[in-house]
Amino acid sequence: MLMKRLEENIFRVLMITATLVISGLLLFILGTIIWKGAPALSWDMVTKLPGGGFYLGREGGVLNAIAGSFYVITGAVAMSMIISVPVVMYVNFYLQHKSILAGFVRFCFDILLGIPSIVYGAFGFALMIFLGMRASLGGGIITVGMLITPIMMRSFDEVARLLPGELTDSLLSLGSTKFEMIKVVMRQLMPGFITAALLATGRGIGDAATVLFTAGYTDNLPGALSQPAATLPLSIFFQLGSPVPEVQDRAYASALILTGLILMLSFTARYFSSRFSKHKI
Amino acid sequence: MHRLRKIKDKGARWFMRVMAFSAILILLIIGIMLFLKAYPVIRENSLLKLLSSSNWKPTAGEFGFLPFIISTLYVSAIALIIAFPLSLLSAIYLNSYASEGVRRVIEPVTDLLSGIPPVIYGVWGTITIVPFIARNIAPGFAGSSSGYSVMAGGVVLAVMVIPLMVGLFTEIFNSIPSEMTDASLSLGATKWQTVKRVILRRSLPGIVAVTVLALSRAFGETMAVLMVCGNSIRIPHSLLDACYPLPALIANNYGEMLSIPGYESALMLAALILFVIVFIFNGLSRFTLNRLERRFHF
Amino acid sequence: MKRITIIICGLTSLVLLSCNSGKRKDTITISGAWALYPMAVKWVEEYKKVHPEIRIDVSAGGAGKGIADVLGGLVEIGMVSRPLNPEELKRGALPVAVAKDAVVAVVSDHNPAMVAIITNGLSAEKGADIWITGKYKTWGEIFHSTLSSPVHVYTRSDACGAAEMWAMFFGKKQEDISGIGVYGDPGLAQAVKSDSLGIGFNNIGYVYDNKTKRAVEGIKIVPLDLNSNGMIDPDESFYDTLEEIIEAISSGKYPSPPSRELYFVLKGKPSDNQTLTDFMKWILTDGQQFVRESGYVPLPADNILTGLRNLQ
Repeated sequence: MLMKRLEENIFRVLMITATLVISGLLLFILGTIIWKGAPALSWDMVTKLPGGGFYLGREGGVLNAIAGSFYVITGAVAMSMIISVPVVMYVNFYLQHKSILAGFVRFCFDILLGIPSIVYGAFGFALMIFLGMRASLGGGIITVGMLITPIMMRSFDEVARLLPGELTDSLLSLGSTKFEMIKVVMRQLMPGFITAALLATGRGIGDAATVLFTAGYTDNLPGALSQPAATLPLSIFFQLGSPVPEVQDRAYASALILTGLILMLSFTARYFSSRFSKHKI
Repeated sequence: MHRLRKIKDKGARWFMRVMAFSAILILLIIGIMLFLKAYPVIRENSLLKLLSSSNWKPTAGEFGFLPFIISTLYVSAIALIIAFPLSLLSAIYLNSYASEGVRRVIEPVTDLLSGIPPVIYGVWGTITIVPFIARNIAPGFAGSSSGYSVMAGGVVLAVMVIPLMVGLFTEIFNSIPSEMTDASLSLGATKWQTVKRVILRRSLPGIVAVTVLALSRAFGETMAVLMVCGNSIRIPHSLLDACYPLPALIANNYGEMLSIPGYESALMLAALILFVIVFIFNGLSRFTLNRLERRFHF
Repeated sequence: MKRITIIICGLTSLVLLSCNSGKRKDTITISGAWALYPMAVKWVEEYKKVHPEIRIDVSAGGAGKGIADVLGGLVEIGMVSRPLNPEELKRGALPVAVAKDAVVAVVSDHNPAMVAIITNGLSAEKGADIWITGKYKTWGEIFHSTLSSPVHVYTRSDACGAAEMWAMFFGKKQEDISGIGVYGDPGLAQAVKSDSLGIGFNNIGYVYDNKTKRAVEGIKIVPLDLNSNGMIDPDESFYDTLEEIIEAISSGKYPSPPSRELYFVLKGKPSDNQTLTDFMKWILTDGQQFVRESGYVPLPADNILTGLRNLQ
């Protein structure tokens, strides 16, 4: 009995320490970003384009990167939706549960999920040269799209799997075609779908390795798919690379903007997911 | 009317099937294209030599990948060694012990951490971890280090991977039906015993899967590691040595690709190696998962 | 379901509408060396005043990225801070010298061996032994003193002109340098600034403050012992102000390498791109007036003429 108690207490201490360490780390990192970034954060940063010499200390803001990131991620999510929604629907509702094809498709996506973003970047670069594309918004969209599709597919798949069989059974027994059933199912799964999309967006918007070679960089707003686009992670990276301390502080402010954006996304995702959750403990 | 519905149905089915196959196709295309691009350098030097040599002299046409491969494995292993216990213990705590209030505070906190862009971790590592290692840790171990080291890379990676692991572990633990844990507790088991025998045992496949995912993330993280690892081409012998993981190699040098013959091919080979490593790890974990699932009859 | 379809259609049409076939003739994209980045930015700013309708994008990422981008057709101009090698020329690269600068050796101004560094300087042989062979383990060994603090050798991790030029000073290539690789010129400067035992190298543009015309705080430029006599003679000492060192580079006193010409590299002659030709010509003529004030060394007249001729 004593051994049990002892073991319990030892692990309790360990667990609390672990949690404290993690929370402490977070506060530390966040604290550093806020402490260095908040002073440099200004309305200008969010609404202006970088002036000439922005990276050397002069005025401007990161609107180019905010807009660029926004365009890239929107395009990427659209592309991702077109691929993942049909795949998830097919695997979950058209194939048998234990079918080999279903397992194989999931396996492929698992691997794609684990592929490092730099490999997607390298592949995207090779693909672009092959297709004759220049570093552009289009290139960025394709590469980031490839990165986030497995994420979106996986999250959405998890949600679709949980759908009770009674719903589909009753629809089919009423004489609907599979496609019509899918339409109804989609409406049911909408919150889960939005969660998946938001999760994928959060990952895609913060990643630098995918866009490093493929989206290019510009101080202007991207005007077309064939023009280079700035992205927030790269903007932060370049600002950090400046020898001027004010610019480095602005990098932290940009990081704050990016983190804030991702935070908003993940909170919204969490909200939707809890609304949808089936397992309330 | 009936025919229209049938056409729509057939069309949708066809479209979905194409999408499902195209997904598999993408994986194949990536693998094939990387291999094709890497082929020239494999043809010039034997694959064995490429993977086991430490000589990296691109202008002389010599590409020894061993230092990079070892660096990647070393840094990722350190990251996992740090991250795994911390994440697991934290997740167990949050799931089984923590009060609702604590949970409501900590969970957004982990979300926050996972949202921070990798570049920031890199900078944080440069201004905090690197000097710390240089000033406080290195002298204690009778060595001198600039701080840019395997340890720095490992710590930064660990911090990046922890939120991912904690989040996923918590999800797995939450999905265990409460009846099981209730039953265990009502039979007189302590909380920890319940955790050990019920929760962990049932979550084992999930834990394995999450660890593999985290490992893949660690292998492939580029920006943050690049800034703290030292980018020094040598096989790291100690934690305090600088190292040069594969993703950093690709990111740093892709610019030289078209200038030196064979360099582009070599970098694509680096990408291919990463791809293959991830492939193998995921394959292994899937295999283990299937075995575990069969054993525990999920 | 209908809502999703509408959203997707809307996005797709937005995307397709904004698709431009073919490149707009009034855009120029530039990418490449950190060394040229401030200069390029200044030129773009001044050029915009004369030609506001031309849109020019500049991004840095290292000389390696610059040459890869321009040869790959991804940008019009690649900023390269080292001479091109035969492979690059074979692929159609056309280098146009646009300014000069130099790479200098740097240490932290808290370096324990500071006195020895200033009086004895660094000769090419010593430099090779620091960066190439790694012979010296402590600062004492370099300057024949009893100082036992270890040397932390820094270099650039990205494929760049600075490292290539620095290695060329020892008759080697960037890949022969061994040391802690840091990304980007500012990164290296930062690393050396924070490490009192470190030694590295930088472009003058990043270690001389353009406003004060002196070395940036925390960094000390290591004088080069050019005649290898073991000490720094009065005429080897020109590192205090930016003007002095620019003069030394210009007159050739500071050797080349590590001083070098900076190039805008094009892919072949820009015969079908009038915008590009005009911009390049402007840089070689009116643009040159901004070179000195930006902290760079102006190009000698003959180089300018050669450049203009090559553009025809």
